[in-house]
Order: sequence, then C-alpha cells, then structure tokens
Amino acid sequence: MTIVLTARDLTRHYQVSRGLFKGYATLRALNGVSFELEAGKTLAVVGESGCGKSTLARALTLIEQPTSGSLKIAGQEVTGASKTERQQLRRDVQMVFQSPYASLNPRQKIGDQLAEPLLINTPLSRAERREKVQLMMQQVGLRPEHYQRYPHMFSGGQRQRIALARAMMLQPKVLVADEPTSALDVSIQAQVLNLFMDLQAEFNTAYVFISHNLAVVRHVADQVLVMYLGQPVEMGPKELIYSRPLHPYTQALLSATPSIHPDPSKPKTQLHGELPNPLHPPTGCAFHQRCRHATPLCSQQTPLLRLLEARQVACHHAEQING
Amino acid sequence: MSLLHIQNLNVRFGAANAVPVVDDLCLTVDKGEVLAIVGESGSGKSVTMLALMGLIDPPGVVSASSLRFDGHDMLQLKPRQRRKIVGKDLAMVFQDPMTALNPSYTVGFQIEEVLRQHLNLRGKAARQRAIELLDRVEIPAAASRLNAYPHQLSGGMSQRVAIAMAIAGEPKLLIADEPTTALDVTIQAQIMALLLDLQRQQQMALILITHDLAVVAETAQRVCVMYAGQAVELGKVPELFDAPAHPYTEALLKAIPEHNLGVERLASLPGIVPGSYDRPSGCLLSPRCPYVQPRCHAERPELLASELGAVRCFFALNQTHQEPAL
Repeated sequence: MTIVLTARDLTRHYQVSRGLFKGYATLRALNGVSFELEAGKTLAVVGESGCGKSTLARALTLIEQPTSGSLKIAGQEVTGASKTERQQLRRDVQMVFQSPYASLNPRQKIGDQLAEPLLINTPLSRAERREKVQLMMQQVGLRPEHYQRYPHMFSGGQRQRIALARAMMLQPKVLVADEPTSALDVSIQAQVLNLFMDLQAEFNTAYVFISHNLAVVRHVADQVLVMYLGQPVEMGPKELIYSRPLHPYTQALLSATPSIHPDPSKPKTQLHGELPNPLHPPTGCAFHQRCRHATPLCSQQTPLLRLLEARQVACHHAEQING
Repeated sequence: MSLLHIQNLNVRFGAANAVPVVDDLCLTVDKGEVLAIVGESGSGKSVTMLALMGLIDPPGVVSASSLRFDGHDMLQLKPRQRRKIVGKDLAMVFQDPMTALNPSYTVGFQIEEVLRQHLNLRGKAARQRAIELLDRVEIPAAASRLNAYPHQLSGGMSQRVAIAMAIAGEPKLLIADEPTTALDVTIQAQIMALLLDLQRQQQMALILITHDLAVVAETAQRVCVMYAGQAVELGKVPELFDAPAHPYTEALLKAIPEHNLGVERLASLPGIVPGSYDRPSGCLLSPRCPYVQPRCHAERPELLASELGAVRCFFALNQTHQEPAL
C-alpha cells in the first residue's frame, strides 16, 4: 500500500476581469480539496459542470499551479519545486482528455504520437522506441499496421484507445482521466472502460477518474469524491456513497440518475434551480439555496468536512436528515 | 389512423447506388404516445427525423412509399404548405441548445417569431403569450428573461427556451433529438420531467431520440432500436428491457455499467458499426453478433413480428415459440 498522490487543501482561484476600470473579481474554482490516493486504486470525482472537476485535473497534472495548498506526487512536493523537478514529476502524472477528436494531433502519425513521450523523456533509440510503441499498441488492442495511420482514420473508440496508450507510454504512477467516455456510445464505452481496468491491473496505476456519469463511476471507482461549486461535499468508499449517501446533494445526484429498471415507488427528489454563479457564491453552505433541508444556519455558516459513518461529509444536518 | 405513418423510408446521400443512411424504415406513432428511438451514433436516428421535417438538402435524397403526418403526405407538400405544418403541428428540439438558438436575437424575439409566423399574434398579445410560454417551461422571472440573449442563459435555460419555442404552436408531435445529452444529470432530470409533463397535458406525441437506454426506460412507452440505418427491434417498454429479442438490443443492455454491478469487466460488443465501405452482405450485425450462424452471413433478415413487437433477426432471443429451424 503506497500512497502515490496526496492533496492537502488544494485551491485554485482565478482573477476574472469585470470590465474596464473595474478591477478583478476572484473566482474560487477549487476551494480546499484534500485526498490521498493509493497505487492501483481509483478515485472518482463527480459533480455538475462548473463544480471544479476539470480545474482539479489541471492542478493534479501540473498544467496549472494551485493558488495554495500542497500536492505530493510519489512523496515529492510539487508546489515550490524547481523547473527541472517539475519536468521529472510530469512523467509520473499523465492525462486522458474528454474528446479524442481534439486531443490527438491530426497531422502526426499514430506511431509518432505514441513515441513522442519516449523521445522527450527517455534516452531510448529510435528502434527501442518503436518496439515499445508496438508493444503498447498491442496492449490497447490496436493492430501493428495502425502505426503508420493518422487519427482521422480511426473511430472515436479507437482514438480514445490511442489517447490512453499515449498516456500510459511512460508508465505513470497517476493517470488523470477527464470524462474519458462521455463522447462515446454505450457499447464502445464498455470496451474502453474494460481497457482502463485491464491497464490498471497490469501497471498498478492510480486513476483519478472525472465523470458526471454516476453509473460509470460506480463501475470504476474505489473512492468517490462529490464536489459542488469548487468544494468537496462528500468523500468516501464507493459502496458507502452509493448505498447510503449522506449529503443531500449526493442524494439528489443519485436520484436524478436515470435507471434502466426505474422504481416507481421511489419518488425522485428533484433538484430545483441550477448551480449558483461562482463569482457570487452563496454565503454559508454553497448548496443551501437548492437544498430542501436548509435551515438559517446553512446560510450563515459554511459546513466543514467531518467524519461521519466512515466517510467525510460537509453538511450541518447530516445526522438529522439521515435519521 | 396513427398520427405519424412512415413506410419504407430511405435516405441516401450522393449516388443512387450509395449505401442508404436510413434503410427501409417503417414506424408509426399514435396520438399522445411517447416513442423512443435508440441507437449508436451513425445509426440513422437523427436523419430519419430530419427527413420527416424536410430538412434533408441535396445531395441527400429521401424516398418512401408513405410518409404521412396528420393526414398530410409530407413528401408531396409544396415548401409553402410544409412551412405551415413544420414548426406548428410538428416541432423539434435539438441536441445542443447553445447552437439551436440564434445568438444575435433576444429570446423574446425568437419566441415571438414563431407566434407571428404560425399563430398570427403580434405586439402585446405575442409578448404576453411568450411570457406564458416561458412560465410554462418553468423559467423564473419570465418577463425579464424575454430581453436576454442566448449567451446570457445557461445550457439548461437555453434548452427550456428551445422547448418553449417548440411548443408555441401546440404541436401534435414533438421530436426531441437528444434533448439532454449536453446537460448535467440534475438538469437532465428537470428537462425530462418537463417534456413528459407537457406531453401529458397537451396530449402531444413525443419522439425521443437518445442513446441513453436508462432515459428510455424511465420515459418511453415504445422503443425502436436502430442499427446501421435499419430498425432492428420494435417493442414495448419495459418488456423489451426484460426480454430483448434482438442480439444487438441485448448487447446494448448488457454494456450498461448498471447491469454489471460487482463485475470486473463490462460485457461489450466487439468491433464497431459498419460504415458504407465495409457493409456485410448478410445481417448487418453478423460480424459482431455472439450468436452468429452461417445463414446470417448469407442472407439479410427482414423485420418480422415478434412477441413484443417486431425484430430483424433469424434467431430472435427470448421467444417462447421457436420458429422451426430451416
């Protein structure tokens, strides 16, 4: 059991222009996220668009510097690391993006795209690189003749395989996947999810799996982190979150997810309204305007994450709601 | 007499011998019914509906032995007559609300345009009706939203506006083409509840095009499963979900993560939908089908009646009375 990724109070704020002569407003895209991730395990991050999922992905992959907080990859602190250290660290965290149509270079052959991480980061010779690429292509279910082809010759599912192969070329410790199957059809999605699981078993990679599809998350995750407006609202083992969600937002998300065997006796707890404007977040609990259990306390005091029933939950009334 | 009657609809793009994008599709929709059309991308779901709306432009060619909606032959209509029906009795909600609305006009103008064209409402009366419609689709502070431009609205709000425009003429048939695919799950639940609510209150028929089988299970009364331009199975919900007759329907259902709780690997259909250049000579599913037989490679099956509706398979699953083997 080795912890490969540790985030402590990770925050990312953006300065947003309000117009000429008006100064800047602060957008708190990510507000205090903490977690630990073991090798070979999957942390799923769920929430609506605008909840900070992708900002978290960008912070974890060192695309952006967090505003504050600490991030450790394989025990090494990222914030404050020198440029060369960061370059080293980037080899250990790779990313698969949502749209395989936009994430592959249309003018570069598949073989060259897969070899590029090796070319930049390893002293391997051309022949050795080619050999490694061929091996990886075989592992993700691509044929050797695909080496010389361009991305437009592939279907969406195959492209996502290529994107996954590229991310795995350096055998990273952590793979961040941002909605990797939301652009795919259900039968193709199943193929790609199976591939994700196979590669994880093979390389013992830790996954951060970002998705808004709770059915998919239920399949891949070990731990689930539910976010709302940049803040974690509930985090814990998958079985607990799905069988007995404690936070009203998690409950609403699960209830809104359509089921193939709908249960008419179970009334849907519909969530009214939409995500509030992150430039003017509500005071107190960010969720209180849409929450049917909200009390005056919720609009005054921000609930902190606390331990309850073997998971963390940020709600003042978690005990009362769940009786 | 059903509201919509489609028989042998073919849509081709390009040459007359080109592979049809929609291949001999037969479909009926009754008044007040909710029909779902499911299938993977490229299966011809959207093109079918575009053909019905008359939105297929050359080089696309639409042909059918019957394409009747509410007593009109949609293929014989002159453009002027068609414009009287489309947008009023027959309306459509598109997938991406951000591109369905015109970014250079206010929401109010766009809704009032429908009212002006189809109901001949003008001025104050049109404005009043537009506010009612926005109220109807549960947009808060409707009157103030009329002057908003589409970019000032969120995705869910834009989709509500698009729905308001579609129901402005009190349509008899509303086609919703992946209305919630671009939206979050909580907003999806809101929009689906709204569509069903409108459908019930106005006795409107609804065709729901989607690839999300769970949405179908929760909303539709009947479902048509399409594969590579053909309808492969028609049946009632929820019976079809319990006992699918076509191997493709079964594979789609099995691939859903919800059906694989506690299982390491998802059941998946190998391969991809055939394109125009690698179409098999027999059954279109034969290269991917787990139950494939020699006959499937040689002949193409017809859509025949099954216990739940219709199925296009020589060896249909879950039938109590097996056809005698040939």
